[in-house]
Amino acid sequence: MSGVWIYADKYEQGLELLTAGRGLADMLGMKLTALVSGDINRAQDFITRGADEVLLLPPLAENQPVQDYVPIMADEARDADPDVFLIAASLKGKEMAARIAARLDTALCSESSLMNIDDNGKLRMERLMYGGAAIQTVSISSRPQMATIPPRSYEAAQIQSDRQGSIKTLTLPEPSGMQVMERKGKDQASGDIITARIIVCAGRGIENQEDLAMVRELAEILGGEVACTRPISEEKHWMTEESCIGLSAKEVKPALYLGIGVSGQIQHVVGIREAGIICAVNSDENAPIFESADYGITGDLYQIIPALIEEFKK
Amino acid sequence: MPNIVCCFKWVVDEAYIKPSSSGKIDLEWAEYKLSDYDRNAIEEAVQLQERYGGNVTAVTVASSDATKGIKDALSRGPEKAYFINDDQFENLEPSQTSAILAKVIGNQIDYDLIICGEGSSDMYSQQVGPRLAEKLGIPCIAFVNQLSIEDKRIIAERKTDDGVEVISASLPVLVTVLPDINSPRVPGLKDTLAASKKPVIEIDLEDLGVEYERLLIDEGLRAASLERNCTQFGDGPEDIKAFAEAIRKTGVIDRG
Repeated sequence: MSGVWIYADKYEQGLELLTAGRGLADMLGMKLTALVSGDINRAQDFITRGADEVLLLPPLAENQPVQDYVPIMADEARDADPDVFLIAASLKGKEMAARIAARLDTALCSESSLMNIDDNGKLRMERLMYGGAAIQTVSISSRPQMATIPPRSYEAAQIQSDRQGSIKTLTLPEPSGMQVMERKGKDQASGDIITARIIVCAGRGIENQEDLAMVRELAEILGGEVACTRPISEEKHWMTEESCIGLSAKEVKPALYLGIGVSGQIQHVVGIREAGIICAVNSDENAPIFESADYGITGDLYQIIPALIEEFKK
Repeated sequence: MPNIVCCFKWVVDEAYIKPSSSGKIDLEWAEYKLSDYDRNAIEEAVQLQERYGGNVTAVTVASSDATKGIKDALSRGPEKAYFINDDQFENLEPSQTSAILAKVIGNQIDYDLIICGEGSSDMYSQQVGPRLAEKLGIPCIAFVNQLSIEDKRIIAERKTDDGVEVISASLPVLVTVLPDINSPRVPGLKDTLAASKKPVIEIDLEDLGVEYERLLIDEGLRAASLERNCTQFGDGPEDIKAFAEAIRKTGVIDRG
């Protein structure tokens, strides 16, 4: 058997993987199979957007974690023996991918940023390592070749007319004994930095928690969101990790990023590498952030920020 | 009283990684460190021991020159370490590391709870913990930011993309922990001295008796360039004005 498989625990990321998977399946001349949780309408939706086959995962009990799908997904993959298996790199997806790979005794490329197909029809993938300082190219010698794909790496697949496909409903997985006792949503007080067009980011150069007000004011005038570096959320706990930018936190793609007292540790800079314009205010002219910035001011942020607020008010 | 195992990795400190002019990565002058997230894993194991009793064992798979890492880990509180080391164990990929850990932990160590960091600070593949759980056939709870033990069950709060989930599972369990679960202690001189007296069980490839093939093939490594051409401004009033003007001219601000 051959084929390209995809799975995402979230609908939107499923549509992105349809685009990624359809592209690979066409290049390899293979069938695209989507693992989808939900009902028959959802399965049909995936077919009209590019899947040739849907393996429908029946709904779980309320207190069952989505990870309970791991055994049946691995069993199905072992039987069908696909060439490629892509999973969306959500937090749940990353864990599920590693566990499925372990069950299938195959390798997994975590958070693949680029995928090519070589002359032998094998994937060559790129991923970041050393906190983003290096790019590693990998291939996989076992089957299936597995990878997790970061969110928003591909456009969502659109509805096409006249697409046909098959739907197979899988059996309900046995409860794993792991129980979800409670689910709590995110604190919605702060805006989402992932979709923000403008981000003003507070770094270690901010001396007191009260001074964040100044950063917020600047963000507000610019019509943007406030984010922070790891020391601000993790060591000082002035902001939540929801606002933290970095390779192991959130990677953002704003049109404008303005770093205030951000030194520019590599893990942070990697998280803003796809920003349109990067600006930085820092007192240290040798701060690494300036190497990755388009515009920079060296000086005391406690003078510069109030002046910038006045300037942007005009 | 729980038998707690924490896994750690001795890694290149990425702060020392500087791309050479050729775009290659030069590791000759690199320093090594205990992987950042594994410090949280060890700290959590030790804190749980302080609350519930039991014992803490630290385990690593490494090449034989990682002895400094063993000392570093033991200075943070575990009472003994398994040092699975061989010159063949350099640059292992996650399927190999987890298979080796599973072989040793499964056969030689009594465990109720295994704690791993969410990922390593060099590769950050975030695979070894979940893979190890599968190889041992025990439940896995990843990305945990709060942990407690009640009547042989683990209660873990884990982060998801939508918020958090509180999970309950009966021991034995493997968890991977996030950096915000605790603040790792900084070992003092006394801790370092005490560490050198703690037992270390060494296991090499021959003792292990099985080799795990590399499945993730390294096809090359190059420096990532994040450099941009920075226009620098001073801090005078005119400079600040010019800086703001430069940003405005890019057209990214909606109102001007």
